[in-house]
Amino acid sequence: MDIDAIVVGGGHAGIEAALALSKLQFSTLLITQNLDAVGRLSCNPAVGGLSKGNIVREIDALGGMMGKLIDETMIQFRILNRRRGPAVQAPRAQADKFSYHRLAKETLESQPYLQVFQDTVTDLILDETHSRAAGVKTERGRCIPSRCVVLTTGTFMEGKIFIGNHWASSGRLGEPAAVGLGTRLRELGFRMLRMKTGTPARVRRSSIDLEKLEEQPGDEQMQSFSFSGKLPERPSVSCYIAFTNTRTHQIIQENLHSSPLYGGKITGIGPRYCPSIEDKVVRFPQRDRHQIFVEPEGLGTEEMYLNGISTSLPEDVQEAFIRSIDGFAQAQIMRPGYAVEYDVIDPTQLYPTLETKQIEYLFSAGQTNGTSGYEEAACQGLLAGINAGLKLQGKEPLILSRAQAYAGVLIDDLVTKGTNEPYRMFTSRAEYRLNLRHDSADQRLLERAYQLGMQDEQAVERLREKIQKIDEIKHLLREQKLPGGKTWYQHLKSPEISIQQLFSQNSDLPAYDEAYLRQAELDVKYEGYIKRQDMQVKRFEKLERIRIPRDFDYFSVEGLSAEGREKLHALRPVSVGQASRISGVRNSDVAVLMVRLGR
Amino acid sequence: MMTSYSYATQELIAGLATPFAASALAVLRTSGEGAIEQIARCFSDPERLHSSGHGCLVHGVFQHPDSRRAIDDVVLGIYRAPGGYTGEDSVEIFCHGSLPGIQRILDALHAAGFRDALPGEFTYRAFLHGKIDLTQAEAVQEIVGSKSEKAHGFAMNRLSGKLSQVIDREKQRIIDIMSVLEVQLDYAEDEIEEDTAVPLDEITSAEEALTRLAETYGVGRLFHEGARIVIAGKTNAGKSSLFNLFLKQDRAIVSDVHGTTRDYLESWISIDGMPARLYDTAGFRYADPQGFPEIIEEEGIRRSWGVIEESDLVLYILDGTTGMNQEEKALFEGHREDPKYLFLWNKTDSDSAQPCPKGAFPVSAVTAEGFSKIEQSILTRLLGGNISSSDQEIMIDSLRQRELLRKAAASLQEAVQAVNSSMPVDIIASELQNAVSALGELTGEVTADDILDRIFSNFCVGK
Repeated sequence: MDIDAIVVGGGHAGIEAALALSKLQFSTLLITQNLDAVGRLSCNPAVGGLSKGNIVREIDALGGMMGKLIDETMIQFRILNRRRGPAVQAPRAQADKFSYHRLAKETLESQPYLQVFQDTVTDLILDETHSRAAGVKTERGRCIPSRCVVLTTGTFMEGKIFIGNHWASSGRLGEPAAVGLGTRLRELGFRMLRMKTGTPARVRRSSIDLEKLEEQPGDEQMQSFSFSGKLPERPSVSCYIAFTNTRTHQIIQENLHSSPLYGGKITGIGPRYCPSIEDKVVRFPQRDRHQIFVEPEGLGTEEMYLNGISTSLPEDVQEAFIRSIDGFAQAQIMRPGYAVEYDVIDPTQLYPTLETKQIEYLFSAGQTNGTSGYEEAACQGLLAGINAGLKLQGKEPLILSRAQAYAGVLIDDLVTKGTNEPYRMFTSRAEYRLNLRHDSADQRLLERAYQLGMQDEQAVERLREKIQKIDEIKHLLREQKLPGGKTWYQHLKSPEISIQQLFSQNSDLPAYDEAYLRQAELDVKYEGYIKRQDMQVKRFEKLERIRIPRDFDYFSVEGLSAEGREKLHALRPVSVGQASRISGVRNSDVAVLMVRLGR
Repeated sequence: MMTSYSYATQELIAGLATPFAASALAVLRTSGEGAIEQIARCFSDPERLHSSGHGCLVHGVFQHPDSRRAIDDVVLGIYRAPGGYTGEDSVEIFCHGSLPGIQRILDALHAAGFRDALPGEFTYRAFLHGKIDLTQAEAVQEIVGSKSEKAHGFAMNRLSGKLSQVIDREKQRIIDIMSVLEVQLDYAEDEIEEDTAVPLDEITSAEEALTRLAETYGVGRLFHEGARIVIAGKTNAGKSSLFNLFLKQDRAIVSDVHGTTRDYLESWISIDGMPARLYDTAGFRYADPQGFPEIIEEEGIRRSWGVIEESDLVLYILDGTTGMNQEEKALFEGHREDPKYLFLWNKTDSDSAQPCPKGAFPVSAVTAEGFSKIEQSILTRLLGGNISSSDQEIMIDSLRQRELLRKAAASLQEAVQAVNSSMPVDIIASELQNAVSALGELTGEVTADDILDRIFSNFCVGK
């Protein structure tokens, strides 16, 4: 069988890319170095979180898999930041790592049009002009032609792990790096970055005195990430909270010299938002404790993940500082923490479709593009897969706007501004976050996915029913009155009145799904703010709508600043809106482009 | 407003930079790609012009490019792109200020391919080439149009970015506040150890600072446009003499005959550096005992009232020798506390002068006794304590700036209100975001990265 699309890598980006391409009925081949590591949760055993939970639900609305995978494998669920406001609360779930990986593999195996193969890709096949991808070459010397290639290499491209003085050519502890591809991309003229991330030790559960830790149970009711999902019903397991202390910090301080981070061995840039415990101790010396989340890695394992103290200190130092923590005096480390450094393609070399500008039909997604996080990777994989498919179909690409999805914010940030640390999504990155609530992801994206062939009839039906129910609820709110003559709608505007309180006033009303009630409630309560945001979005979209042709000649435009011209030429923005966000492009340049492109 | 201008910078533009009036020297300005080459065609020593670098002055004879007829002895200032004001190749022509001479040079420039510059086009090009930002572009308008030395000082402050600095300080303060809120939105309740309370005081004080700055618009406008000061009073109370005292020249006709000034006179004056337009109105002739102005001068007097209405300050002259009539007494009582009125008790030099009532200022328009005190009072009244007389004071003078500052302040007020009505953090944060983007329109945008930077440097975050 001829292969249409090759996806390099079987992580969270690779899974989504491969599934999307095969869903669009392209014969797809996913190549991974290790079939037993497909969909592995290499860092913490949790999916979702603030803004990331929104991304998972966006992935689901677009026909991706991540929401369904976590729904089937969650062992704890929480809605975060409930009281901090409607726009920022988000779901997070603890996963059973082993079930998650296994379900991911099963899903790939049962997907029509998709093959999965274990090998290591070391080179690309290009056409004679060197400007178009035409397949891959593998470590074992195989040449596999295809019409497009999606790179989702994670931390494996020229990966190197560090523990104290020890280093090894690996992408994860115990898994060899993919050597050759990064070097090859450099030769082809790609600007490559080195990034770094880290992970903490895993400790044996029975060696921890859990009595001394604070228990953190999940919400009583699990909820599904997927809009198609049934509510997951299974027992919930707890996480635990522990704290470092001054003794811990002292041990770390005294051993900083043996950290590869501080000894200068690691040159890659690490994330500021997820600092290692070494970094925390150095940067915040005034703090006498740091919080640790002790998270179970799954049901059938004793391994516990120590979230908050990622480290690359030598193993004996790790053991010493962990044992200084209350409750951990007898702790047995099962896997040490380590840092990993890997190759990243500077993402400003990509179009918002995630296709590289330099080599046509070559797409790239996930950590390869400088992000961090399963959710960030998965949404890129999905969009790279969809856009590769659309390109093969000769159709218009799917570019989500910043006002439409966190995934849109993420990709726009990456390809427009680039990143100099592993990029993580944050709520504050989204200007229009009132519009990006997790519960509205289907309303924002699902229809579009259906048009593209990524969603089925049923899903659209479900969405229409949801919209209808919410309308019904709002209608009721306008009709029902409390004594005194004011409608429920008016009452709901005050912060202390909840929709449940109102509906409990009248038992004759039909019962509504709690999620629908909640959404109607938020729509009403924050109506004024939402309206204002909508106006801002309208203004924002004006510039987004002025498209710039791919081959637009900036040198033929009079009046552009020299710097702006250069930046625009290098970045090739797809719209004047994107152009306006490029650093170095001035207001006057934007004005010139607006005039030139027919405004 | 500027978008109607041509974006094509290859078009050569020329314009007279000094007033079209007879004077010792005049300056013409040219700009555009190839400007130096074209000017060389009009110059006695083209070679020297070609070989001159940026910032050189060259002396020679300006001539018509076709007939080669000499027009004037000139000095040329050479600016090469990207230097100079517009960032383009540019030549400034310093010539003699004779009207026919200036006209002939302009004709020669037209023949050499220059067109007349549109108003503000040089500044527009400077903006287009990124030489100045929007607030600076506004400030240039200011320098060009400024009515007095002090106004010039204010404009210079802004051009050097002082206004930007002040706005930036408040912007940084709001970003600090935002980072306190945003960290709670970016990290879950269990990831940061404690919520920091919303710093209401800080929001309020930023709001006050912005409101204060927005309010300086009034004062900024006075310096920019000039205050309108009207001299009013009964006929023969000494209005014109006072007018002349301000002018220190015999501009108005001064006579003892009542009602000499039938309409009104106006003139630019400078009061301790503040530009003002001084109006001398027709006198109000009160036909005692009824005290109504007479019909004959109706038109002039009607105009006088109109001028009074639009003025920033009324100097009402009372005749210290005759005292106040009924109407004047009523006016005096009614407006004694009114900051818009300053009552002057004139003719203190006269033997028959009566004692000056409390609330009026004694003055003699003849001897100038008490005059400097009046000038001080005028300044105090107009500036309302808003300003020290130092140039260092920052003030705004465009409506756009005022609107954006007010918008920012209003958003901060909304934020305070959202806090007080227990709105969730994300709503409060969105109000602050609105404030920051309004300020961003004044001095440059604030990106999410700015706020994340603040979060990462101020909070220990991350699991």
